[in-house]
Amino acid sequence: MIAKSLRDFRRALIGWTIGISAFMTLYLGVYGSIKQNPDVYGQQALAKFPGALKDLMGGLQDFTSGPGYLQSVVYQLFVPMLFIVCAMLVANRAIAQPEEAGTLELVVTLPIDRKRFVLDRFAALALGLLATAGVTLIVTWVVAEAVGMGVGFDRILAAHTGVFLLALFFGTLTLAVGAATGRRAAAMAVVGVWAVLGYVVVTVGRSVEAIAWLKWISPFHYYAEGQPLYQGLPVGDYLVLAGATAVLALTAVLAFDRRDVGV
Amino acid sequence: MTAVVQAEGLTKYYGKRRGLEDLTLEIQPGEIFGYLGPNGSGKTTTIRLLLDVIRPTRGHVRVLGAGSREAAVRGRIGYLPGELALEGRERARDYLDFLGRVRGGVPPARVDALAERLNADLSVPMRKLSKGNKQKIGLIQAFMHEPELLILDEPTGGLDPLVQQEFLAMVREVRAAGRTVLMSSHVLAEVEHVSDRVGIVRAGRLIAVEHVAALREKAMRRVELHFDAPVPPEAFQGLPGVRDLRVEGAALRCTIDGRPDALIKAAARFTVVHLVSAEPDLEEIFLTYYSDEERHDDRQEPA
Repeated sequence: MIAKSLRDFRRALIGWTIGISAFMTLYLGVYGSIKQNPDVYGQQALAKFPGALKDLMGGLQDFTSGPGYLQSVVYQLFVPMLFIVCAMLVANRAIAQPEEAGTLELVVTLPIDRKRFVLDRFAALALGLLATAGVTLIVTWVVAEAVGMGVGFDRILAAHTGVFLLALFFGTLTLAVGAATGRRAAAMAVVGVWAVLGYVVVTVGRSVEAIAWLKWISPFHYYAEGQPLYQGLPVGDYLVLAGATAVLALTAVLAFDRRDVGV
Repeated sequence: MTAVVQAEGLTKYYGKRRGLEDLTLEIQPGEIFGYLGPNGSGKTTTIRLLLDVIRPTRGHVRVLGAGSREAAVRGRIGYLPGELALEGRERARDYLDFLGRVRGGVPPARVDALAERLNADLSVPMRKLSKGNKQKIGLIQAFMHEPELLILDEPTGGLDPLVQQEFLAMVREVRAAGRTVLMSSHVLAEVEHVSDRVGIVRAGRLIAVEHVAALREKAMRRVELHFDAPVPPEAFQGLPGVRDLRVEGAALRCTIDGRPDALIKAAARFTVVHLVSAEPDLEEIFLTYYSDEERHDDRQEPA
């Protein structure tokens, strides 16, 4: 079932891997010219940005240094979001999409336990995302080396692990909502709202007292707080993400096992 | 011998909407059971309950001696969904391979043989298949692992007459091998020639289970006689079992309830040039069940 699921996901995964790699190459490739002209992109230039926008982009500090650029352009917003969308679309192919299309009907009548089926789908999702993360990690590292970014492989690995865990969290959330409701739209709505609010809370919302506490339920808090590009692997934070993912996977298994399919 | 399908008080509500009410039914090994009813009467609900796609509100069902929740037993069932969805770039052969492997392995030669019988092309991506060709793939996957029980929901939809004949031959072979078939349809004609028994379901309730042979005996038979010269209508008046008599010149038309003996003897006095006797029209009985039940319901409602 895992092999079959991976085949089901293959095209989407390959597409997203190519897309994200292209994004990495393009944006990191530009760094070369930024490094040579720090004045143009330096503090004065950034001062023109409105404060709220800077907050939203994670502060945009230290834009001309290697780690600063990598953090702002790649790991702050764009790449995590691309990965989350990728994970969401792939995870929807596991249950909700085939259920809406009617192809799940035959699959649930196979001699596979329902619990086992969801676990296999989850395993395939994790493996697929791991492959995408692996390939894009290599691409990032190679390009970063080529333009002389000056960030060690261990730091990039630490940051990329975070991206993988974040994507897996939202992918598993999609799987859980899809397993419980069988509706693609419901899964995408839950993921969309949680991801956008979660991101806003840890960036713009930082300075707003009333909502600052919400960061504890934002996956982005555990993703970004440890500053893996500067500090290395934030083990504790990442374990929280992995643990939450495990809880969601369990929820998906139990929800799908109880439910009528395709009604 | 234990029944292949054993349902007791099986009931399914979708929220407040009734899907199936209090179904009690046994299907014996080696039997072909036709499951009949108009669209939306609860046929598909029953079938999906048997396969654990949906869960009963009340009651329980055992299939092949096991509870429907036991996954392993489903490897011994072949299932054709009523609305078969096949899509994607995957070729039909690869999909059949996958289904076969999960069910414990199917020799490729058997798949090829079935494909040839049904004239199905397995090398086409499934989304490019027409409705009839998808149905063929559905039949192949249901038959290919030689399951002990075949559950076929509206199996002949979209098939051309030649393939329908081949399909009926396949069903008969399954019975000859002592295996069991449950097939649903909304028209009797599709199942009457292969079924041993039929169950008739209407508005979520099983209202009758009959042997097809018994149904046929009860059935009305239309008869047409042509004579070489006009015949006097009085000669055929009041014959036992003869109804709706119409004599027009040299032609006589009527329906016969039961044996045609009296009519034949009355006609023997004249010169018969042509005789037409239609197959017993079970459809009419079938419709009688529907309308009887309706009257029955009407009576119950005021109470």
